[in-house]
Amino acid sequence: MNADDLYVLAGEYVLGTLSAARRADVETRMANDAALRTAVEQWQQKLAPLTALAEPAEPSPALWQRIESSLAAQEERAATVNVATTLQPATVRSWWNSLRLWRGLAATGFAAAAFMGIVVVGKLAQPPGPGYMVVLVGPQDKSPGWVVQAATNSQQARLIPLGKVDVPSDKSLQFWTKGNDWKGPVSLGLVRPGESKEVSLDKLPPLEPNQLFEITLEPYNGSPLDRPTGPILFIGRAVKII
Amino acid sequence: MPAASSAFDYDTALAECAKGHRAALHRIYQHESRRLLGVALRIVRDRARAEDVLHDAFMNIWTRAASFDATRGEGRGWIHTIVRNQALSAVRTNDREVSADEETIEALEADAVSNAAPMADVFEVNADIGRLDECLEQLDAPKRNSILLAYVDGCSHGEIAQRLNAPLGSVKAWVRRGLLSLRECMA
Repeated sequence: MNADDLYVLAGEYVLGTLSAARRADVETRMANDAALRTAVEQWQQKLAPLTALAEPAEPSPALWQRIESSLAAQEERAATVNVATTLQPATVRSWWNSLRLWRGLAATGFAAAAFMGIVVVGKLAQPPGPGYMVVLVGPQDKSPGWVVQAATNSQQARLIPLGKVDVPSDKSLQFWTKGNDWKGPVSLGLVRPGESKEVSLDKLPPLEPNQLFEITLEPYNGSPLDRPTGPILFIGRAVKII
Repeated sequence: MPAASSAFDYDTALAECAKGHRAALHRIYQHESRRLLGVALRIVRDRARAEDVLHDAFMNIWTRAASFDATRGEGRGWIHTIVRNQALSAVRTNDREVSADEETIEALEADAVSNAAPMADVFEVNADIGRLDECLEQLDAPKRNSILLAYVDGCSHGEIAQRLNAPLGSVKAWVRRGLLSLRECMA
């Protein structure tokens, strides 16, 4: 592309004459093409005075309220997820019972997690068959870290890492689960970063849809209590696979 | 930039938004929402849709405030760019372009051949737009009209062809040559 073509493409992007597909194409290219990005920024600055040619219009009073309530809703979602990563031991007792936390997580991450589950299934060596699948994702960035598979009526579940986690040398990862009506979480033992683990479920009620699984960061020998004391690193809910 | 807005410090307000101060976003809204709605309204041409655009744009301003870089441009321009992009993506995805179908364009092209009268300006530039005004003045009317219809009214090439009663190919050439002349003039 010669210099004139680059300037015209950038100029047409800023003018707005490109089709939706070509607009998207320019936006993608801008990420890696500094010359195009600079040309776009120059046109944005040069043409900006033209916005003065549009006569101002008074927004309806409801518009700001609408923006504010959307912001509040967004903030609530973000705050709920933050709670999970910044938990201190003193607050741990109550958060298992925090409906808001779980509702927030369900609203934000789990649709994505369920989708990732489908993607991940395709990549596993052995399709799990009918049973349950859980994708454990980072509470903040929703990036999948582990998968749990369990066949229907099986007493075993398999925890499979999708990547490597850095764990401080004086800490351990601990795996937990909690059914919908359980009083609290039950430990499924310590987990090594980057290693698969078979867990026995024979002392627990049968797996149920939506059952919670998570991995927390705990002292080297695991939580000294019968519940997590450290931050949640990965969390997900069981999804039934047919 | 109009004097009315020069007293407002957009860069600082955006920096405060990035830190999570919602009052700063409200200040931006109070100072600029009338002008921003005007810009969106010209492009989407429907009040309810223009307000939707402004709503989505303010959500974007809030979430992307941390990525605003004052060394790469003015805060006010950055805000206007977000609103224009939101408005343009609203009209381009709805494919308003369809209205100027091939047949219409061909008919227009046939008309235009016999219609060689000098073109009148479709815009009256009655705001202070600085150096850009002189550069636009140096363009001939078809190029000036094409650039202004695109930027201010969000017209696609096909819509400009309809509005100016000119062949699509000519409009594309006018936009291209208009941009190249502007670049030279404003360099």
